[in-house]
Amino acid sequence: MRRAIQALGVVLLVLLPAVGQPQVSVQAYDLPRGGGHPHDVAVGADGIVWYTAQRDGKLGRLDPASGKVDLVPLGRGAAPHGVVVGPDGAPWVTEGGTNSIVRVDPRTREVKSWPLPEARGYVNLNTLTFDQRGRVWFTGQNGVYGRLDPGTGEMKVWDAPRGRGPYGIATTPDGAVYYASLAGSHIARLDLDTGAATVIEPPTKGQGARRVWSDSRGRVWVSEWNSGNVSRYDPRANDWKTWKLPGDAPRAYAVYVDDQDTVWLSEWSANAMVRFDPRTEKFETFPSDRRGANVRQILGRPGEVWAPESGADRLVVYRTK
Amino acid sequence: MSAPAAALTAAAGLLAVVLAAGADPARGERVFQRCFACHSVVAGEDTLAGPNLRAVLGRRAGTLPGFRFSPAMAGAGARGLVWTRTTLDAYLADPQAYVPGTEMAMPPLTEGDDRRDVIDYLELAGR
Repeated sequence: MRRAIQALGVVLLVLLPAVGQPQVSVQAYDLPRGGGHPHDVAVGADGIVWYTAQRDGKLGRLDPASGKVDLVPLGRGAAPHGVVVGPDGAPWVTEGGTNSIVRVDPRTREVKSWPLPEARGYVNLNTLTFDQRGRVWFTGQNGVYGRLDPGTGEMKVWDAPRGRGPYGIATTPDGAVYYASLAGSHIARLDLDTGAATVIEPPTKGQGARRVWSDSRGRVWVSEWNSGNVSRYDPRANDWKTWKLPGDAPRAYAVYVDDQDTVWLSEWSANAMVRFDPRTEKFETFPSDRRGANVRQILGRPGEVWAPESGADRLVVYRTK
Repeated sequence: MSAPAAALTAAAGLLAVVLAAGADPARGERVFQRCFACHSVVAGEDTLAGPNLRAVLGRRAGTLPGFRFSPAMAGAGARGLVWTRTTLDAYLADPQAYVPGTEMAMPPLTEGDDRRDVIDYLELAGR
């Protein structure tokens, strides 16, 4: 079912749900000049939203209650890609421009950086996640993944199996860490002690696994850029299941699984967000009202799914409660 | 102009040409690491997220056979955009401004030397 979104700054529209799904209201927040082109987004337990203004080298902070946006410059040459809210409540960033992992103090806005070893060269840092021991795991699209222990400052970087491609990375509720390799068309599970990566092949050849997220049962959902599929890996059964997104030639960029185990994807051919209910195996499509919205990542908290529209300079939230 | 002065002028002109050409493709290859995740210059390596850039100079934008370009890039090519040193330089300086709606997420390459050197590298890779 396709429904146009009439998003214009403040709320908008309440969308009738598919059977069994909660209704959705959509609200868009325009971003200021000098802090647009949001690449990734993260929302904390306090509802504050952080986003990477990659093109402008800044981290943005949106207070959805007021719509106010503050910008934190990350320094000369900065081009931040990924952001997550850490267990300390602070935004942590894969800062691609300076080849560093960065923490921004949410209160003082102090920026602290952990550069990658110089010998590694430019790795095109992509995305990061925390394991359950408080350590940061990250991907570098040029063919690496790594780990930072913020407590000791120790950083390790490993060559990825099959070279370039490591993209989205996520931690499951049971503590496992997986990343997707876009160029390598696989996912990999990391051994959190040795750092070794085990490649796991999705059933579709050359699918372009771009991002991963876990449901509440530790099953790994994968957005497939080349194939336009969403697939699910069940580690217990060592089994895959795959669904094609709606449309003639879909391209699934980002994936996120919400607190109800409903799967959200961004689909670029239709310029839309897509909601997938694994129980009914039904898709619902929510096209953006802006051309080329280009949602590159999705993240949320219970009742909220946030989508940064990088091509429309705004953050859009899909509320399900 | 005396002969020595003419010779000096000619030498300076040659030096200017060399400098303008950059002639530092090795440095350009290092700059290309910013592109490497999505682009290749190796013939036949065509399954990455971005189009193969071998022999990109002289190519009409959005036309590499077999690659699925964004509507924005295909439209720019249809309107006549051809990749030359000049147009590539302008694109890399601010991709979103030069081709609004391009899917390429790379931030602007703000340093002119970086753009010159990576274009040198691409030019050599196309030979």
